[in-house]
Amino acid sequence: MSGAPPERVDRAERYEPGGARDTALHVRDLHVTFASEAGPVRAVRGGAFDVKPGRTLGIVGESGSGKSATALAIMGLLPGTAAVSGSVRLGGRELLGLDDRAMCAVRGRNLAMIFQDPLSALTPVLSIGEQLAEGLDVHQSLTRAAVRARSTELLDLVGIPDPAERLVSYPHQLSGGMRQRVMIAIAIANRPDVIIADEPTTALDVTIQAQVLEVLRAAQRETGAAVVIITHDLGIVAGLADDVLVMYAGRPIELGGADDIFYRPTMPYTMGLLAAVPRPDLDRSRRLVPIEGNPPSLVALPPGCPFAPRCPLAQDRCREAEPPLVAHAASDGHRAACVRGAEIESRDLSWSDVFPVPAAPPSKLASVPREQRKVVLGVENLRRHFALTGGGLLRRRVGTVKAVDGVTFDLREGETLALVGESGCGKTTTLLEIMRLAPPDGGRITILGHDVQALASGAARMGIRSELQIVFQDPLASLDPRLPVYDILAEPLITHGWRAAPVNERIGELMRLVGLDPDHVDRFPEQFSGGQRQRVAIARALALEPKLIVLDEPVSSLDVSIQAGVINLLEDLQAKLGLSYLFVAHNLSVVRHIADRIAVMYLGRIVELGDVERVFTRPSHPYTRALLSAVPIPDPKLERGKARILLSGEQPRAGATIGGCRFRTRCPTYETLADAERARCDRDEPELSRRGVTDVASACHYPS
Amino acid sequence: MVSTNLLPDAAERARRAGVQRVPKGTLVARRFARNKPAVAGLVIFALLALLALVGPFVARWGYDDLDFGALKQRPSAAHWLGTDIVGADMFALCVRGLGRSLLIGVIASLGITVIAAFVGTAIAYFEGWRERVGMWIVDMLLVIPTFFLLAIMVKGAAGTSGWLWLTAALTIFGWVGYARILRSIALSLREREYIAAARFMGVPSLTILRRHMIPNLGSILIIQTVLGVVYAVQAETGLSFLGFGITPPDTSLGVLIRAGSSTLLTAPWMFLEPAALLLGLSLSMTMVGDGLRDALDPSSASAGRA
Amino acid sequence: MLSFIGRRLLNYLVMLFAATTLAYFLASSFLNPRSNYVQMRPPPPEASIDASLDFANVNDKMPVVARYGRWLEQVALHWNWGVSPQGESVNGAVAHRALVSVKLVTLATVLAVLLGVSIGVAAAIRQYRLFDRVSNAISVFFLVSPTFVLALLLVLGGIRFNEAIGARWFFVTGLGDAGFLDYLRHIALPTVTLTLVGYVGYHLTQRTYLLDTMNADYVRTARAKGVPKNVAIRRHALRTSLIPTAIGVVWSLTSVITGSVFVETIFAIDGAGKYFVDALTKNDINGSVAIAALGGCATCAGLLLADIVVALLDPRIRVS
Repeated sequence: MSGAPPERVDRAERYEPGGARDTALHVRDLHVTFASEAGPVRAVRGGAFDVKPGRTLGIVGESGSGKSATALAIMGLLPGTAAVSGSVRLGGRELLGLDDRAMCAVRGRNLAMIFQDPLSALTPVLSIGEQLAEGLDVHQSLTRAAVRARSTELLDLVGIPDPAERLVSYPHQLSGGMRQRVMIAIAIANRPDVIIADEPTTALDVTIQAQVLEVLRAAQRETGAAVVIITHDLGIVAGLADDVLVMYAGRPIELGGADDIFYRPTMPYTMGLLAAVPRPDLDRSRRLVPIEGNPPSLVALPPGCPFAPRCPLAQDRCREAEPPLVAHAASDGHRAACVRGAEIESRDLSWSDVFPVPAAPPSKLASVPREQRKVVLGVENLRRHFALTGGGLLRRRVGTVKAVDGVTFDLREGETLALVGESGCGKTTTLLEIMRLAPPDGGRITILGHDVQALASGAARMGIRSELQIVFQDPLASLDPRLPVYDILAEPLITHGWRAAPVNERIGELMRLVGLDPDHVDRFPEQFSGGQRQRVAIARALALEPKLIVLDEPVSSLDVSIQAGVINLLEDLQAKLGLSYLFVAHNLSVVRHIADRIAVMYLGRIVELGDVERVFTRPSHPYTRALLSAVPIPDPKLERGKARILLSGEQPRAGATIGGCRFRTRCPTYETLADAERARCDRDEPELSRRGVTDVASACHYPS
Repeated sequence: MVSTNLLPDAAERARRAGVQRVPKGTLVARRFARNKPAVAGLVIFALLALLALVGPFVARWGYDDLDFGALKQRPSAAHWLGTDIVGADMFALCVRGLGRSLLIGVIASLGITVIAAFVGTAIAYFEGWRERVGMWIVDMLLVIPTFFLLAIMVKGAAGTSGWLWLTAALTIFGWVGYARILRSIALSLREREYIAAARFMGVPSLTILRRHMIPNLGSILIIQTVLGVVYAVQAETGLSFLGFGITPPDTSLGVLIRAGSSTLLTAPWMFLEPAALLLGLSLSMTMVGDGLRDALDPSSASAGRA
Repeated sequence: MLSFIGRRLLNYLVMLFAATTLAYFLASSFLNPRSNYVQMRPPPPEASIDASLDFANVNDKMPVVARYGRWLEQVALHWNWGVSPQGESVNGAVAHRALVSVKLVTLATVLAVLLGVSIGVAAAIRQYRLFDRVSNAISVFFLVSPTFVLALLLVLGGIRFNEAIGARWFFVTGLGDAGFLDYLRHIALPTVTLTLVGYVGYHLTQRTYLLDTMNADYVRTARAKGVPKNVAIRRHALRTSLIPTAIGVVWSLTSVITGSVFVETIFAIDGAGKYFVDALTKNDINGSVAIAALGGCATCAGLLLADIVVALLDPRIRVS
């Protein structure tokens, strides 16, 4: 997988069920309760599912759904203070109730787990080889040479180049994708019967994620194991899972084959989830549907269906008792926990019948063509270089990291431009450079007609600052926990000289604008939910009536059902107030939905820039093509049928200098070129230029 | 015309919000009260403080009243804690010494916390060369054990306005060790986005320090002050014991222990009494400090004392 | 790695130099050797006082910076740390005393590390159980006890013990000069005092660090492989937790150095600490600065040792 040319993998076939073979993993009536200061937390309340060998079950849920607790309960790795009950049978053998010693014989041999964050999941002081060997030594008695041979074989299987040398490396020397491959190697070392993967790719970039998921598929093929993949990403589930289990508030609320769940969901929560998730294959004319309210607290659950407070179809009988997970239609394989399930299936209701679609307010500027709008932000050849210093007292410069290396774009009034790319591409650095309002290392930044270089005085800078505001990714970190919301919202106003009475009035206005109750201004950030906190952050950004708002991944820390509401809010505000947004995101589905234009960045340069629809439907740069093909679509047929372009290798290390086109080390097109053509890629760095009559520009010598 | 957006005043808002917001102070007090050793420490400290305050009025003898007829006496009805070799009442001496040590400890600790807070956060906030130079200076000051530097400084000034100078010296050298800890915490705070948000809003640096950084360090500072009392009292008594800090005719627990060390075998009470008070003071303050740490920040890394 | 250690060493040397300079100025400002003479009865003539002070380079009539220059020249070029106001050579006085103190401090530190780390590890594994609570209580007691109180209590205890068994088992003064066993009996109580002072820091911090690493994700991964819990903690968590402990060694070292001043005074051991106290009492600028520099040197040695140990233990520093 490493040195070979990138594959196009067609995934039209599906796994056939194992027939009469035993169930690999059988879970019934699983309950997990934690003790906490506020009272007992019932994290899992009745988990139940089966997985057969060779098949994949996807467990989907948002935060608080209990999916991770389920996985840890099966492995027996919950802390001692957790109370677990129920039945977990691995190939017929009951696991709950086994003491730690007996479980040790099972873990790593019949049952393996892959964790979320590979950096913290691997021991920093032991080498890769030692950690692999440990997994083998616990369950088999092999000679040192045999262990080394097997370890090398495993690393090769998961696609790590130079496996024999890698054995003596330490985790911190590997990239995130490599570390996760090592985790997979460790998991399959003893050919387990069941592999549980808990959010295995959440911490990884999209193209790396695609690689790692491919490795997971290969691992499953190799071992014939049953795989349980736990994730919040519906796209991953659509591509990987044969069966899907949806969990909410600690309970499974829908279970069935992937097609059933995605195309014929019965439970309103599942419908709402599918309607709320932005998709990379549908354009922004399809409005996202938010699910009102918040997930319930697991400490004090009201009686009845936990989804009832948020469900548009809720009736009185929903609040009496929790609905059981039963089949409503003919097929026994598809079950839903909804008392109105039969009704929903017989009337063939879909989300558009159940959830109201909020109307989009008209935009003031919709009719004005782009060329005629004012330029709000102009960036020309922006450069930002960081010095790499060796340690010591004097800190000598040993190299340069060209985080942003010649970026040019402009942003017009009422428009949303998204900067996308993977980690290390420079998008966040570009954002911060714009916010700094200081002369850049190279190039020009013009904000509302003012060149940043020409801003001499503090007063001039303050003037610009009132027009330019920022919303950060994590509202918990961007709001001071010791200040009540009133003070948080007042801060920008007071800093720019507003007096008490107008401040008071403006704050009330702002709270209403973002859909929050003004009576809550005395509360502290921690008393709000995640989505509400982000609304406070947006309100703060709007306080001074800016023209341009810069947003750094504003919804990536929010649950899917909450995310939709915030995205809609941002769109509505833009239409109402004529705002311009500069968006930084790595989630391309969100970008497709909210942005007008997109700039794809790689290693500090823009490789493609243009209208969102054009770029998504007809990408010209090979990196854009690979990036788009890697985004999981929450639709099983589309996801399995799509052509996957896998990039080889990893991004070059920061500070490395590459002559010519910086993408050529991973470029699929490069592989297919003749020598003479390749020479051009090696020598000349391609400039961003338009092809033909379209408004899309790309930086490639041989675009498609 | 009155705008409909106008918010009512704070009291009305609080009433409307109907927020059952338990004031943070009550939450902390409750957690503290559940911690038995901490409560015990608080009680002991209160008793000692009471003793220091009220003792001089309750004692039958002044600390400098010499009873020539009762030299080196064991505790008795006339002299509750006995007498020393020149006939001074041990109870009166202990009470006064306790008061002295306590006074010095509290004032020095407060001073240390204030200076350390500002220096630590300032170093953490101002990046670049200022931070590196600042940290280097702090590290350099810690190379020679603080006690040595203190001793040099205090010895030279012994006798002149005694305890005030000692307190000043303790404050001047005491903040260095704490500044380091505060700096690492302030560093992690600085990485927080709300600081960046404030900067991008145009809030001036000093205001950011005042409004955002220092209040967020609040719990650390409180704990620091309490534990700082222990450090200051121990430093003072140590110096006085060696003859450098407080010197006769003024007295402190250290002076008393020094006197008691020469009559260890013949009049052990002269040593044991002030030693017990010193231990009690240090122990109680440490318990209270630990209890506060657990109560204010249960998720802190150092919470977890058995 | 060698260059890493080398750079750190250079940094420490520069710091030591700066700190010693600070100590010199501090001592020159606050110690008043002239007062030694002025208080004599009858007081000597001023010219004679000046001559004596000049000989020792501590004449307050000469500007401090000039005196510093002379002192620095002597130290840097001839390793001559000057003379006391009484005329006694500092080098000669400090040399063998320094050895005595270094032996005492080193022995106590090694014992403190072994004792503290072992108790800390054991307590973390048995968190909240009896062993943990009892050892915690004991440690808190030693934490709050000032060194001199502890030393005096041990003196009292030692003497009472001797009385009780009717023989002199423990000595409470001096270091003895009648063979190795005699030396041990003299050094026992002082060493015990310093060890008790030093071990508490290691116990409490090691316990915390191990608790943190015990709950780390990588221990969970090891258990997921089938490694039993205790083995996982020992192999994965323990080694990682020793890294911050090694970094923390310098704080404990400083307490032990400070403590040795008290211990030497109380147990009448003729070491560098006692010399320091005497020097201060006699307003000896050169002597006190020399001891301050010695203390700083010991601290730097500790820091360097910690750096080496961390580099050995932590591949993130060793291999990059």
